Amino acid sequence: MSASFEEKSVWIQLGGTVVGLGTYFAIAGVMLSKGVTEIVPYVPLFIGAVILMVVALVAGLVVAAIVSRREPRDERDRLIGWRAESHSSWILAVGVLAAITCLVFSIEVVWVAHLLLLSLFLSQVLCFAFQIVYYRRGI
Amino acid sequence: MAGGGTRVRNQIRTLRFHHGEMTQQALADLIGVARQTVIAIESAKYAPSLELAFRIAEAFDVPLDEVFQHDQSADD
Repeated sequence: MSASFEEKSVWIQLGGTVVGLGTYFAIAGVMLSKGVTEIVPYVPLFIGAVILMVVALVAGLVVAAIVSRREPRDERDRLIGWRAESHSSWILAVGVLAAITCLVFSIEVVWVAHLLLLSLFLSQVLCFAFQIVYYRRGI
Repeated sequence: MAGGGTRVRNQIRTLRFHHGEMTQQALADLIGVARQTVIAIESAKYAPSLELAFRIAEAFDVPLDEVFQHDQSADD
């Protein structure tokens, strides 16, 4: 695949985020379905997922830097980043509004926390996906 | 620019050929962008900023309108 270093780093960020937080949500989903409604048992799982994500990102970026020419971010990269963010940030806004609504109706904190985290996760994944589309299709 | 293209056409490939078959990487280094950005501009997948367009024209030492043209037929 012919891609700039910036595009490769977006693929790596997408992969790292999906692997790290995807693993978290898979396990947390099982825990929630079994009725674990305290927030404390999720903390070590979340820390582990973040460590997994950081390790995947660092390893991926190191490999990308070794195998490809490191080029500075240019105006096209910045425009793609801005446009992708403007098209994906609505998910986070919807998640925040939904979380506030949950708090108004006194829904357990564990659901509110996961709703916020899920909206952040989906917003980021969509942002990376848009960036890849713009890099491949044009902008 | 819906559909991922741009109405700005260009002669960059021809100009590179007439400048000693300048490579895309050489042009990218000259104007300070990634090679993939030169490829995207050349294939009309990205319309550069006015400043970058001027830098490209200066790299070939030609007026801006010899490098870029607006494809008015696409407006129809």
